Amino acid sequence: MRKVYLHSRYELLPGDPEPDWRSVFSVMEARRMGRLLKRAVWTSSEALRQAGIDVPDAVIIGTDFGCIDNSEHFLKAVKGMDDAPLKPTHFMQSTHNTIASLIAIRLGCHGYNATYSHRGRSYESALEDAWMQIALGDIDTALVGWFDELTPLLADSLAAQGIDPKEHALAVVLSSNPEGAREEISF
Amino acid sequence: MDPVLHITGAGVVSAIGCGQEETLDALRKGLAGIAPVQYLQTEERRFPVGEVKATNEELAARFGAAEGLSRTSLLGIVALQEALQQAGLKDIAGVPLIGGTTVGGMDLTERIFPAYSRLHDCGASTDAIADHFGGAPFATTLSTACSSAANAIIFGANLIRSGRADIVAVGGSECLSDFHLHGFGSLMILDEAPCRPFDATRAGLNLGEGAAFLVLESEASMKRRGAQSLGVLSGFGNACDAFHQTASSENGEGAFLAMQKALAMAGLRPQDIGYVNAHGTGTPNNDASESAALRRVFGDSLPPVSSTKAFTGHTTSASGSIEAVFCLLALREGFIPPQLNWQEVDPACILPSAGGEAHLEHVLCNAFGFGGNDSSILLSHA
Repeated sequence: MRKVYLHSRYELLPGDPEPDWRSVFSVMEARRMGRLLKRAVWTSSEALRQAGIDVPDAVIIGTDFGCIDNSEHFLKAVKGMDDAPLKPTHFMQSTHNTIASLIAIRLGCHGYNATYSHRGRSYESALEDAWMQIALGDIDTALVGWFDELTPLLADSLAAQGIDPKEHALAVVLSSNPEGAREEISF
Repeated sequence: MDPVLHITGAGVVSAIGCGQEETLDALRKGLAGIAPVQYLQTEERRFPVGEVKATNEELAARFGAAEGLSRTSLLGIVALQEALQQAGLKDIAGVPLIGGTTVGGMDLTERIFPAYSRLHDCGASTDAIADHFGGAPFATTLSTACSSAANAIIFGANLIRSGRADIVAVGGSECLSDFHLHGFGSLMILDEAPCRPFDATRAGLNLGEGAAFLVLESEASMKRRGAQSLGVLSGFGNACDAFHQTASSENGEGAFLAMQKALAMAGLRPQDIGYVNAHGTGTPNNDASESAALRRVFGDSLPPVSSTKAFTGHTTSASGSIEAVFCLLALREGFIPPQLNWQEVDPACILPSAGGEAHLEHVLCNAFGFGGNDSSILLSHA
């Protein structure tokens, strides 16, 4: 088993000012993508830039609720609430893997691609997956992310059940290469 | 692949039956399970579906499940029970559970909306399955749309390869929901007639539901427990088409790479494969793209190919493990599941197999998802 190293870590915290999306997205893209997707693409490119990697061997994402804002819009439409129309884009972006998919499309990354969704431990599983594959020698580098957004309805519903969900926009780059690494990662 | 990964238990439930025996019978006789909506609560009645022929109450009563579980969890319990029993396991106290789902408890969310429950998300549906069997030492959930279960198999295999576990339960579960029935409808990829994979007149998919789990273990674990090998997971590949959020590329790059990786890992040549269980959803786009990928991988040595989605409908996140169990049955019983509903050649597509007896050593099972999440699993005779 090989050693695995952390090369970069970039995070947008909930209170941070929104980045200037126009420097990365066209007007059309910015309109089509929800806030979570924009934050995911942004943090991923920052983490990759800091690690000096253009295209990683794998994109592995953890998300508890995916693009819940899109899911909610689509649910409203299915339930006939607020005269909301059934928009295919809302459905397409309601699947949890739409985040990892979008990142891969933008990077032109045909490598391993996976998404974990498991109750506050989604990111841990994504990290473990990347760690195992680098340790096994199946891949050399991986972009690992943790992306979650909140809607008022989700936050209120979960708070009433004793859960305090948080937004997340975190990307890290792992590699088998010790050179320039920040620290060794183990599981 | 080193170490050898044995499958020592399998469980399956879908529109064509509950358990391996009923499933095998339907596959052998060519009996499809696609019909008008009977169980799902929905006003959308235009599209035929592949439902598991039981209500939630019937499933819960028959399997002694807790009240109020999502249908995704109930179907998962049905499948995992059979897999554990065959593997000779009473519970999953020492067995990590890796599930795959995307719908999760959406069938329940859509009933209580506008509100959410902490018991309805993807991870909660896997945990509910684990809890039914006394709790697992570790559980996680892959959610890569229609390749979720295939990727759960891969993650579980890597737990064993990396020495982090010597036995795992892997698979996926997905029920029908009003949410994704409308979702696939909004994408205009549902057929109002039974789906016709690889046929020139194919006009979309039929949604299905179900679950399947496999018990996967190292040779040492299998021998120690005195378990029997049903087959070997000899390779797998996961690649991303990186083309479009829901459409597949014309040359099937992601599918091509996934199949190639699986072959390379198993150290096999294309001509060693005796059967391919295609993703074959019946949409014009998928079947043409997958055919392009199959032609690139196999060239002139294309083995028999069929899509069993004409039997079950597209069981979405569960399809990867459900169809892996179909492949295990094909390996064990020596037959190729026939392509149902195929009549007219499409030059853009491969010619699917009419089925029949065949001695199989190695079979490939494809599961591709939205977002270009393409995975391929290679199973071999024990």
